[in-house]
Amino acid sequence: MTDGNGWSLEMDAGPIYVQIGVRVREQLACGDLKPGDKLPSARDLAARLSVNPNTVVHAFERLEADGVIETKRGLGTFVREDAPVANMREEILRAAAERYVNDVRRLGVLQGGALAALKEVWDAGKAR
Amino acid sequence: MKRLRTLLWLEHRRSWVWAVSLLGSLAFWAWGIKQVHAMDVGERLGIRAGILAMAAGIGAVVLCLMIGRIRAETRHGQYQVLLLTPPTGYTHIAARYLYAAAVGFAYFITIGFLYWWIMALAGIHLDPTTLVELILAVPLYGISVTVLPAMAWTLLLMVFISAYRISGPGWIPGTVMVLGTPFAFRWLVEGIVRVSYTLPGWRLFANAPAALIERFGSPDPGVTMQVNEVMYNGVPLEPLLIMLALTAAFLVIAGRIWQEVEG
Amino acid sequence: MLARLDNVTKRYVKNEGIRDLTLGFPAGEVVGVLGLNGSGKSTLLKLLAGLLFPTDGAVTVYDAWPRRNRAKLVFLGETDALWPWMTPREAEKFMAGLYSDFDRSRFNELLDALEVPRRKTKSMSRGERGRLRLAMALARNAKLYLLDEPLAGIDLLSREKILSSIVQEWHTDETILLSTHEVAEAEGLFERVIFLKDGRLALDAQAEALRQEGKSVVDAFREVLS
Repeated sequence: MTDGNGWSLEMDAGPIYVQIGVRVREQLACGDLKPGDKLPSARDLAARLSVNPNTVVHAFERLEADGVIETKRGLGTFVREDAPVANMREEILRAAAERYVNDVRRLGVLQGGALAALKEVWDAGKAR
Repeated sequence: MKRLRTLLWLEHRRSWVWAVSLLGSLAFWAWGIKQVHAMDVGERLGIRAGILAMAAGIGAVVLCLMIGRIRAETRHGQYQVLLLTPPTGYTHIAARYLYAAAVGFAYFITIGFLYWWIMALAGIHLDPTTLVELILAVPLYGISVTVLPAMAWTLLLMVFISAYRISGPGWIPGTVMVLGTPFAFRWLVEGIVRVSYTLPGWRLFANAPAALIERFGSPDPGVTMQVNEVMYNGVPLEPLLIMLALTAAFLVIAGRIWQEVEG
Repeated sequence: MLARLDNVTKRYVKNEGIRDLTLGFPAGEVVGVLGLNGSGKSTLLKLLAGLLFPTDGAVTVYDAWPRRNRAKLVFLGETDALWPWMTPREAEKFMAGLYSDFDRSRFNELLDALEVPRRKTKSMSRGERGRLRLAMALARNAKLYLLDEPLAGIDLLSREKILSSIVQEWHTDETILLSTHEVAEAEGLFERVIFLKDGRLALDAQAEALRQEGKSVVDAFREVLS
């Protein structure tokens, strides 16, 4: 289930409130969302994603507890200026790397081969 | 009151084609009356009166058809929508009935006017009292004893059939009611006849014989005596009261069924 | 409890029945009522609406017979049941005249949001009629909404609009019961899901709890059916 702005949710990929939290972190990590940005209201986001507003509220509560966002009464929900964006980028990079390494290890490939493949794909991507 | 008004509006939107067609058909009957070209005045009057009687009968049937259109609603689910609206079943039934009754009144009073017209065409001059009796009293008496109860009975029958149709073999009670109607009707009429004239009758058309005599000349003494007897006794009030009471009873029962049955 | 069924059985001559069902619905829940055709979903909602009466057991809404409280509940049936000559404006007149909790301005906003054409219903498509009926339902201010297959037979775009509107209109003290076949599409909406199988309760679970176990509601649905 996708919404145009990259909020894709999978119903069999764990609780929705967790996935929403992940999406927010991903968007912060890529710069689609920046510290200080205003988030859509829980209800608006819920309507966009066709999910229960309580689920979005739950997601926002978790993000708030983790120090990523804050609610300013009467104004809305915002990304904190001091949101740990660098940490998120680190985490996402690590997670991607882990997935790659796990996939490739199963083929029995060694580090040299894995790095070479990575460089090849990277260079090919740059050419486009 | 707002709810009743809304239901009346709904009924109007639902049925106006029927209402307009029925009332409009009177123009057709009026045209038919104009077309009568018998030689004898009395004969012309007789034929025209017959035409109006036919119009009255057909009108009664059409009114019953109009008020009984519930089956389609049940099939299309509109009955279900109405069942869940706040107004009571009595209000729903009242709205349907009042609309049809209003159309009925308009129709039959117009027929009263048309009777006046055919009398005038025959050269009979009626005094004001007789006119009011002709145009108002007779139609009202007539429909109260025949059409109004028939409409209420039809409505009750259709509500009954629709209601029980939903939960099981509804055609059984419905068939019972339909088949039983002629018997119940006969029993009712016999009962009414037995009871009639217990109360003093309602004298109508006291001045009519004089007007007829003025136009057509005196009839023979035998007829005069019979006419005088009818004039003296008047029209019985019992049928009117009994039929109005029955009408009310049918409507109340229909309202109750509406409330209490599944949708 | 806003609404309850206590050991309710509904026996039918021909159709789906319900067997010994006990359920409670507190305020503020959005519940998905799921199951195959003939599993009893419609019957359950109609029992709660007071359109059907139980053969055994008791159904209570606001502590009384549902029919008695019909002014305080909203039932959106599956049947495409509007008068063919009715326009949205006349539907508004109908609702406002009969229901005191009908919000006219919200109705018109919903008509716009759902893109309902201002024509007679007989010249509307099925999807447009479905959206009109939904607008009529959601513009009422009730605590209990019973939506019986609001997505059935409706085109994809209309379904999206419908789900979106339901999310927008729901308030946290309201309870919505929504029955559907389109489990995949609607599952995000439900906090709680009830699966009916042959008239009995096969599963009653919180949606996010199922997902915690790695199952989507669709997965759980398939499990229940097998």
